[in-house]
Order: sequence, then C-alpha cells, then structure tokens
Amino acid sequence: MTPVTAGRARPARSARRRRFDAAAPPWWFAAPALAVYALIVLYPAIAGVIYAFTDWSGIGQDMSFVGLANFGTLLGDEQAMGSIGNTLLLTVAIVVVQNGVGLLLALGVHVKLKSRALLRVVFFAPVVVSPVMVAFLWKYIYNPDPASGLNGLLGLRVDWLGDPSVALWSIAGMVVWQYAGYSMVIFLAGLEGVPRELHEAAMIDGAGTWQRFRYVTWPLLAPAVTINLMLSTIGGLKLFDQVFAATNGGPGYATETLSTVLYKQAFVFGKFGYSTAIALVLALFVAAVSLVQVYYLRSREVTA
Amino acid sequence: MTDLLHHARVSRGQFLRMMGGLAVATLATACSTRPETTASTGGSATTELKFVGVADQKTPMDELVAAYQKAKPAVRVTASFAPTDQVQTSVRTQLGAGNAPDLHVVYPGNGSAMSMSQIAGAGLLADLSAQAWTKTIPAGFKPAFQLDGKTYIYSAGSSVIGAVYNKKVFERAGIDAPPTTWTEFLAVCEKLKKAGVVPIALGAQTPWVTQLITYALVPSTVYAKDPTFDDKQLAGQASFADSGWRQAMEMYLELQKRGYFNDKPNGTTFEQQTSMVATGKAAMAIQVSAVLPDFRKAATSPDDLSMFPVPGADDANAVWIPAGVVVGLGAAAKGRNVEEAKAFVDFLGRQENINAWAKAIAAIPLTQDASSSIDPAVQSFLPFTKDRAVPFMDQRWPNAEVQPVHFAVVQELLAGDATIDEALKKMDEAYRK
Repeated sequence: MTPVTAGRARPARSARRRRFDAAAPPWWFAAPALAVYALIVLYPAIAGVIYAFTDWSGIGQDMSFVGLANFGTLLGDEQAMGSIGNTLLLTVAIVVVQNGVGLLLALGVHVKLKSRALLRVVFFAPVVVSPVMVAFLWKYIYNPDPASGLNGLLGLRVDWLGDPSVALWSIAGMVVWQYAGYSMVIFLAGLEGVPRELHEAAMIDGAGTWQRFRYVTWPLLAPAVTINLMLSTIGGLKLFDQVFAATNGGPGYATETLSTVLYKQAFVFGKFGYSTAIALVLALFVAAVSLVQVYYLRSREVTA
Repeated sequence: MTDLLHHARVSRGQFLRMMGGLAVATLATACSTRPETTASTGGSATTELKFVGVADQKTPMDELVAAYQKAKPAVRVTASFAPTDQVQTSVRTQLGAGNAPDLHVVYPGNGSAMSMSQIAGAGLLADLSAQAWTKTIPAGFKPAFQLDGKTYIYSAGSSVIGAVYNKKVFERAGIDAPPTTWTEFLAVCEKLKKAGVVPIALGAQTPWVTQLITYALVPSTVYAKDPTFDDKQLAGQASFADSGWRQAMEMYLELQKRGYFNDKPNGTTFEQQTSMVATGKAAMAIQVSAVLPDFRKAATSPDDLSMFPVPGADDANAVWIPAGVVVGLGAAAKGRNVEEAKAFVDFLGRQENINAWAKAIAAIPLTQDASSSIDPAVQSFLPFTKDRAVPFMDQRWPNAEVQPVHFAVVQELLAGDATIDEALKKMDEAYRK
C-alpha cells in the first residue's frame, strides 16, 4: 500500500492559495504589528549584540571592546561546554518523549469516548500553568523522603533532584508532564484533518489498525509532526525557568544548561559581555537547528 | 481574520476609524497622566522614595518605614521585597539601565554581584560618610562597610553562624549542655543518632545552605591559626588547597560519612530543613542566626529553639566563630532623590532604629546602648565576638565567582562526585579569575 498520492495534492493546495489570496488583506495591515515587533523585539535584540564584543560588567560606565575574546573564552569554558552537553541531552529527551506521549494522548482522545472532552481539558491543563509554578510544584513531588511525593506513590527511594545522575531526567520528566498536552493539541488538529474516506478505503482494502495508522494517518500527520518537533526542540534548547526554579543548575553542575549559564554570567558573576556572547551563540545555534529541521521535515509532508 | 470581520459586519473603514479612535484615546490618557507623575517630585508635594530589598529585610523595613512616615510625612517610602536571586537580577538590570531605585539592597564587603565593593566601585552608590552613625562602626567591620575609606552601605548589625537546635530533642537524648569541642560535638551527634533523631538537618538543594557548615568550621581551622589569612590569600601567598579549608571540608564530609545528616541532603530544601528542626524530626541545623525567625515561625513551641557556636577545634579556646555584617542597603548615587534617600538612611542609623532592626532579625546590633536587646538564642556567641570572630568568608573574596563555585563543589562532594582536592582546586581557580 503506497502513501496517499502526491498528484492529487498539488491542485488542491494551489486552489486553496488562490482563494486565500483573493481575501487576503493588504500587507500594510500588518504594519502596526510589525512596527511594534521591530521596536520591542528586533531593535533591542540587535542593539544587544554589540555587548557580545565588550567586557561590560552590566553596571557602570567602564566598557571596552574586546573583539572576539568572549567567544574564545567560551571555547575554553569547561562549565559552558558541559552545559551544552546537558542542553542537548535534555532537548533530545524532551523532543522524543513529549511528542511520543503527546501523540499517544491525541490518538487516545481522538476516538469516540464519552469523556474525551473532559480528558482533553485535563491533559492540556498543565500547559497554561506558569513553568516556574510547575517547577515549585514538582519540587514537592520530587521530595526525596521515601514516604512522600512520587517516592511514596511508587514505593521508591530515589533522590530525584539531588542525585546528579538523575536530576537532568527528573527535569525532563517535569517538562514532558507540562507540555505533552501541548503536543497533543497540535496532533489532534492534524488528526481532525485526516479524511474519513481514506480510512474507509483502507479498511475495504483490508488494512488493520496499525496499517491504517502507518499508511494513512502518519503521512498526513506530517505537518503536525514538523511543528511539534520544531517547537519542542526550540523549547528544549532554550529551557530556563524550570531548571532555574527546580535545581538552579545543581547539584554541582549536573543540570546546568546554556540558558542558566548565561544567566549566571550576566547576573551572578557580573560578566554581561560574556553572557551576551553566549546568548548570541545560543540564538544562532537554535536558528540553525530549526532551519535544518524545517527544511528536512517539510520535504516529507504530503496532503490529502 | 477576514471571516471575523465579515461576521461582525464591520467594514474596513469602520474598523480603521475604530482603531484610530482607540489610539487617540490612549494618547489622551497618556498625556493627562504625565503632569501627575512629575508633580510628585515638585517642591510642596510628597516625595516618593522607592526601595527594593530582599525578603529577610521585610520585617524590619515595614516597621521602620511606618516610623519614618510619622516622623516625616512629606516623604513616602514604598518598599518591595523578593527572594535574593530575583532581586539580584532586577536591581542589577535597573542599575545597568541607569534607572535604579532610590534605595536598594546591598551586600556588605565584596564577593557578590550586589556587594558594596562591586556596586560602589562602579560609582553607583551614594557616599554616606558624612552621617553620624558611620563614625561609630566597629573597626573590625569597616571592610564590610567601606571602600577606600568611604562608607557606602547601611547595616543594622551582625549575625552569626552556628547550630540552631531543639532543646527538647537534646534533653530527650540525654544531652544537658551544648558541646564545646569537636570531639564533644561528634559525641552529641552520635547520642542523637542513637536516640533515633536526625542529628543535623541539611537542606543542600538550596544553594546558599551548602556553604554554612564550611563557614562554621573555617574560623577555627583557618583564622584561629592565622587571622591574616585573607590578606595573604589576596596577595597570592595562600590558597584554599593549602590551608585549613581542607580540614574543614574533611570535617564536613566526616559528618556525612558517620550518618549525621538527613538522608539525601542534595534533594532537601531549606524549607524542609527548617521544618525538620522545628518539628523535632531533626535535632539541629547549622544556619545563620538571621533565619531564626523562620525556624520559630515553623515551630509549635518557638521557645524550644536556641543556638550554640559550632566548635570547629578540639581546644575550646581555639574555637572561633563566623560573625558577619547582615545584608544592608545603600542609596543610589544617580537617583532623582539622592538627598532624601540619604536622609532616610541617616534615620535608620539612629541607635533606636539600629536596635529595632537588629531585634527583628535576631542580630547583634552594630552599636549598642542601654536599650539594645540581644536575642537570648545568640547570647552564647557574645564572648566570641570581641576577638574570636571573623566576617563571613565571601565578604573578602575578590570576585563574585568563588561563592557559587563553593556551593557547587559542596553539592558534588555530598553526592560523592568529586574529591576534596578537586573541589578546592576549583575554588582556587575561581578565586584567581
């Protein structure tokens, strides 16, 4: 059984675009929003880049240009380099588990259950809570006391946030708990877009549940997969709030991410220039990863 | 978007007129509020002073701000408080942007990004040297208050680090007096452990808590032997690795090895540590006296809690204690109301106000008179304060990196992820940065 033919997709897509163009408002409708965006986001971001080439402490007038010295320091900074490893591990764990769980939840609440509306709300609820609140809440859930929290529930004796070899995964678990519902909603939207006729046709051809998922649902979910992977990758790479509130990078340096390192350089160590250099590297890295991801994932998208 | 407009039956023209109207209305309100804000800085109207502080300053500040309001109704001090990390972020950002609050929290000495030396060094703190109270700062505390001979920070006194203990739990375990030597201290812990309580609660998940046990021991293992250690270290003639710091770390880990801490200290927070001692689940916690009010608040019978100095040596006469100037405040040098802000600091510097502030946080008042009161819990520290006390170590460290490294290596040591050699090497590297 071949995936849905691409031949039918093209006329459908161009027809939709034509319809959209006719009704599209003129570009200057976006001008006020763009102006605000430029003033509040673009200008400060670009103006801030200059500091990456200085040794400014964050306060006072003393500042001199140091060229690329900050980037050289970064390469030799054991702590920052270690945090890159943590950031990548955390990102991979979050991307895989969050989207896996999100997809399963979406498939689960997509079937005709009586309580599915309620379940959708329940699974989505953590998304609307502030990440810092979630981290504080999970600090209680991750209490090392064997009689309370998650340990009490599962009968374990794990030092969730205090054991350096476990802490990073505990944070990943917390993030997945919060954002799996977010992935679920995007997958659900994708599932709603899969035409029932295709399922019926596949059923008549004798396809089972797994085959219908593999050859009908999965290819048509590709746009949702693209968005989910991209959003969770970006979210993972720049993860800050949850780590900061739950462990502040500890125990030792076990959960230090690039974001917490750059925060500490700016506000704890008073090295604003160096911190900006790290931020710049992080921004470029996130941009590069997302561009590659979008380019690759887009190429495998099909439409019904 | 277009659908929405169609359904709402609003034409593009109507929509634009609507938006235009909104914009005009916004501008109009913006203009009308502007004169009001400038009026507050004018001559006869009230002056508003903004203060941003850390959470431990709330109790004394609320009390003294109210008193100042009565003494000087023309000035209104609005105070806001937040945990240390947040304050550090927001105040440093405001300082960097040049719109600092008139008064803000400042840490004594050097060693943190919000410390007196770092901020005054950038020229952002007003000189308070002309005020009467600055003339009576005890000589030993001057490095905490002064940079190049000028005073830049107000602080109401000093706090000590020692063991906050539950007297009832000690009695039940058959201990009638606090220990005065290290050997006695270990024996007390052993007795408590045998009695089925956690001898020492340790909340090392909260970073700043990690440093307190080393701070409690280092005065005896380093400074009792060489009171000029700080100067030598600054001159590059001494290091963490080749000093009593090593012994202090070994003693710290010995407590862990003997099972005197609660299970999994790296996963335990300050709040959990507090409640363990307050409820009698643990017998003591090595803490700074400024958090005594937190322990008392959590306890059902607050009078059961007291403190004793941690004996870091086997000769009771060689035991030294850490006594540091408590977190204070300074006036922004470039604020709009520098003179008014300084006048408020001068008010805080009056003896009765020093007494009030110190009382609220169980501190030892900076200067004392007949009406000064000293919390009974810290009475046992007073014999030490004259010549066997040293400021908290970080107050003389040359940069803001050593302290966070100290936090991190203690967590690594507790987790068994590092050796004392590696830990002290990292601290020495940070010190030399």
